[in-house]
Amino acid sequence: MGKGIWVHWVMMLLHVVAILIFTRGFLLTRTELPNYSKCDDVSQSPCFFEDQDHKPHNHSHPNQKVCWSKPAIDRLVVIVFDALRFDFVAPSTFFQEKKPWMNKLQLIQQLAATNASSARIFKAIADPPTTSLQRLKGLTTGGLPTFIDVGNSFGAPAIVEDNLLHQLAQNGKRVVMMGDDTWTQLFPNHFDKSFPYPSFNVRDLDTVDNGCIDHLLPFLHREDWDVLIAHFLGVDHAGHIFGVDSGQMIEKLEQYNTVLQNVVEALESQSAPGGLHENTLLLVMGDHGQTVNGDHGGGTAEEVETSMFALSFKNLPSSIPAEFDTSFCGLDLDNRNICISSIQQLDFAVTISALLGIPFPFGSIGRVNPQLYALGAGTWNFEDSVGNCQNQPKLDEWMRNYVNVLCTNSWQVKRYIDIYSASSVIGFSHEDLLHIGNIYAKAEERWSHTTKKLLLHKKESCNELLPALKRQIEEYSAFLASVAELARSKWTEFNLKLMGAGLGIMVVSLIIHFLAIKKVKEQYGFSFTSSGDSGISLGLIFACFVGVIRACSFLSNSFILEEGKVACFLLATTGFVKLRSSVMKKKMISEAFVFLLLVTICRFTIQVGLSKHASSSEFVSAYPLWMLGITSLWNFVAEVLPVLALILLAFLLHKAITRSSPEGIWKYIIMGTHLSYILIAMHWAVESNLLNLAWVLKDVGSNCIPRLVYAIGLGQLLLLAINQLFIKQKSLEGSKILSAKAVAMFSVWSSTVIILLGKQGPFIALVFIIGGYCIMRLDNVELDGKDGGSWNLMLDPVPVTQWSLFAVCLFFCTGHWCAFDGLRYGAAFTGFDEFIVVPQAILLTMDTYGFSLILPILGLPFLVACRGQTEKGKQPILGRLSLVYMIYGLIVATSVTATILCVTIHRRHLMVWGLFAPKFVFDVAGLILTDSFICLASLYYFSRVEDHALYDPIK
Amino acid sequence: MKPKKSKMGVRASSISVSTSEALVVHLTIGLGLALCFSVAHNVHFINLTSHPSQVLGLIWAFQCPTVILLYSRYRKDPERCSYWKAVGRGVLGLPAGAVVNALGAIALGAPVGIQYLPKTINWSLMMSLFTIVPAASVFGSSWTDWQRIFACTKPIDPVDFMICLPAHGVVVGAWFGAWPVPLDWERPWQEWPICVSYGAIAGYLVSLVASFGFILVRQHVKGD
Repeated sequence: MGKGIWVHWVMMLLHVVAILIFTRGFLLTRTELPNYSKCDDVSQSPCFFEDQDHKPHNHSHPNQKVCWSKPAIDRLVVIVFDALRFDFVAPSTFFQEKKPWMNKLQLIQQLAATNASSARIFKAIADPPTTSLQRLKGLTTGGLPTFIDVGNSFGAPAIVEDNLLHQLAQNGKRVVMMGDDTWTQLFPNHFDKSFPYPSFNVRDLDTVDNGCIDHLLPFLHREDWDVLIAHFLGVDHAGHIFGVDSGQMIEKLEQYNTVLQNVVEALESQSAPGGLHENTLLLVMGDHGQTVNGDHGGGTAEEVETSMFALSFKNLPSSIPAEFDTSFCGLDLDNRNICISSIQQLDFAVTISALLGIPFPFGSIGRVNPQLYALGAGTWNFEDSVGNCQNQPKLDEWMRNYVNVLCTNSWQVKRYIDIYSASSVIGFSHEDLLHIGNIYAKAEERWSHTTKKLLLHKKESCNELLPALKRQIEEYSAFLASVAELARSKWTEFNLKLMGAGLGIMVVSLIIHFLAIKKVKEQYGFSFTSSGDSGISLGLIFACFVGVIRACSFLSNSFILEEGKVACFLLATTGFVKLRSSVMKKKMISEAFVFLLLVTICRFTIQVGLSKHASSSEFVSAYPLWMLGITSLWNFVAEVLPVLALILLAFLLHKAITRSSPEGIWKYIIMGTHLSYILIAMHWAVESNLLNLAWVLKDVGSNCIPRLVYAIGLGQLLLLAINQLFIKQKSLEGSKILSAKAVAMFSVWSSTVIILLGKQGPFIALVFIIGGYCIMRLDNVELDGKDGGSWNLMLDPVPVTQWSLFAVCLFFCTGHWCAFDGLRYGAAFTGFDEFIVVPQAILLTMDTYGFSLILPILGLPFLVACRGQTEKGKQPILGRLSLVYMIYGLIVATSVTATILCVTIHRRHLMVWGLFAPKFVFDVAGLILTDSFICLASLYYFSRVEDHALYDPIK
Repeated sequence: MKPKKSKMGVRASSISVSTSEALVVHLTIGLGLALCFSVAHNVHFINLTSHPSQVLGLIWAFQCPTVILLYSRYRKDPERCSYWKAVGRGVLGLPAGAVVNALGAIALGAPVGIQYLPKTINWSLMMSLFTIVPAASVFGSSWTDWQRIFACTKPIDPVDFMICLPAHGVVVGAWFGAWPVPLDWERPWQEWPICVSYGAIAGYLVSLVASFGFILVRQHVKGD
């Protein structure tokens, strides 16, 4: 065994530990449960005795089955203004300074001031991340955000958890949606009617809004819906482009004021008893706030504070006891009194469910908000409840209803917490569960022993009932508050200690890596300079410079977004430096030019890939460059060229293997690969429309060829392993046996990777081979005939750096990017029709990392084996290979450490869930794969080789 | 300020430069650049950010005669090569160098497209003027000198410094100038080739100072 192999294993261990610790602190890991609330679940709760008792009295909805709570409203109009800041709605007198964008939604302030009991402004507090998608999820599920939704189906962001819209659809409510198309992505099958408009064009302030306006007013006069959702995006977009303090923003707000005026007029005109909107609640709300620059996503007060305005068209008396009224009041510009309450977004789903009388979403941890709930109180038949409290009938009725709803609410939350901690891997700690369990038990006990009896025996006087109800409400509220607090601390707060520890271990591992390289280097007597001393060479400085610049580039979201271009830029820079030295030595100039040409091609391929990423992620054609040509000639070429490339590839492999080792097992390996290539060509021929070959495989099915290719690949791998374990190698020259092994390994993996990548596969493989060849050749530029001895012991880190940059470029060339929609899910279904987790995951990994990780790592020995030698003395090949692997590992680990550092810094950044976290996941997965492949490769290349063949030290 | 002959054998044939002459050349070019910007700003009321193509065009058109005429005076082999021949070489070097620069920029990621064409052309002509043209005027087709200056970076004469350092400065400056391009600040100057040009010009000015400093130090050492 070569010295230094242990380093790879130690590094892998360290990286895994560091990443595990960091991930525990960073990723908000809440598991989504597949459970759904159902109407009859509530019979298990201790709360629902009233059903039988009250039903005869309840005449307001004789035909409607009462579900979890008595319906308080019939119809609901939700108007969402994206990124509605709190100060857009609240009067400017509530703030220290009057800003130009305040007091633009005059109508809301006027309504809130004139009928204080039926119209109310809320300050709505959102949970970060404050991005629209996450917020809509939070609003409808009543839960806290998750990052990796384990139950999520491939690619589609549809919500699978129980949510408000699911409950609406299940309970026969017809939902109409208009505006932001995020809704239809999240809820593909829940809407009765939907009018989605694209939301991605931030520069477009009006399309979505005009679409909403066009549909909104006509629908207010129709009766074929129960819940209407209109999502306006103009304010969000105006903020992103022009900022909050801009003319466009004020225009938008004034436009919205007009829209609201029309909406309120339309609703009011039909709100007479018996009218269409007799029991309608209007909600105007934001999903999150925004900073003055128009950014959102983070957790600052400006971003999480949005507002909600609720308007009921009944004239309600104030029906809420002062104890539960959390509002603060003040005078507005016209010296009218305005009260503003506050609501957590978490509470939205459950409050709306309670108002509409549908089951609460299973995973909701919110509390029914008293003020918002009170606004629905107008639809209860107060005349019916002839209690003993004639002086305060409404208060009494409201309290009865509210305590009942809270009981159901608490029971539902407790049920969720119990089931969650039973089924989730990372649940709550035992003490926490015990604590909230105790609070619940206490409240529950009071309910069963005292309150329930009081409610049942209506003859009790007010004086006894009301204080009891109040105490009960307080206890339930305390329980719900402690659950929400616990959930927030577990699910939305980063654990900085764990993150710091992970990052620390990562940095320590880098230092150990570096020291190990130094030690192994000294063991073999390598040096970085051509003169053989232990100094620092220009090449080393340059490699470090490139590495550091790439690492630093991860600190900005823009550079992560353009990572492919940055890698290409750096690769081209190294190409120019190599060109310079090849001109200096007057040789291999053509290789340098070919390399630059190749980088240029890569660059254009990446650009095409990125533009496709921006416009849409649909894959019309497998090979991006040829999407441009649609003519039949192009189609023909597009069908034939990949096959030609495949033939060329097979020829190259054949030549490579015959040159290094013409006999033995290698021949069979290559034959197997050729067979695979023929099969792949057949596969494409069958799939193409040019030759009508579909009938050929009608009986066998189109899946058999890919599966055969996988099988051949596995067989070859097995053959190599057997050869490795049991058959003594012939003593060949070290570099030859190494390159034979590498070619064999490359060919074994290439067939599977190519079929997964589709028709771009052979081209990328050719690019990889040519690029790798150029890097190898250019490595020898400095080789002079004169000082052979020190050349043999010189270690240049630049080719390794180039190799790793090239691998990164290939990742982007193959049409991937660091986001979950950058995974090519289609590839995972090559050869499979139905979804099976394990093979699909393996195929997806191979497709994603095939050319950017697996093949470059397995091909690294080329860099060593094809290195020119001087006549004087041999070089310790295995020592060099071991060092090259270590340097490669160090380069990858450095960039991943930079990613981790950047994710730590930007954990509250706008893009953290959209960009940094996916990048983190991709990089971390890549690092662990890199480590394991380096370990496997070192086992494969280092063991059972005639030691004397490879270890010949000089002299 | 008459040119004195160098004493070295091989390089005896090139016209050498005194310190003050180098200062004049550097100052002329530096002030010329400043003049270009002030003309653009005060006469045409445009700047590099608003009209990159025009300003870059102005710079190379304005500086072209200055650079070629100045550098041609220091041509190698002045006996066999007339002043006007050197000027002609410089003029030929301008488009050739532009092609080289444009290809290099495209390899590094410069955008390609019809709307970028005038900008890229003007930018690469400007780059060519500062990198290739002086060398073309002075060295002509002497491959060993080109190789010595651009591949090995081994300037010997003051003229070598005047060619080598600014050329490298421009390229390195442009390379660094490309870094702000991907940032999402949405500033107009982030467009290709504006910030690259700013970087190149900054690098050029810095390296002009540096090359003069080197000449000064060398002269000083020689004097001792």
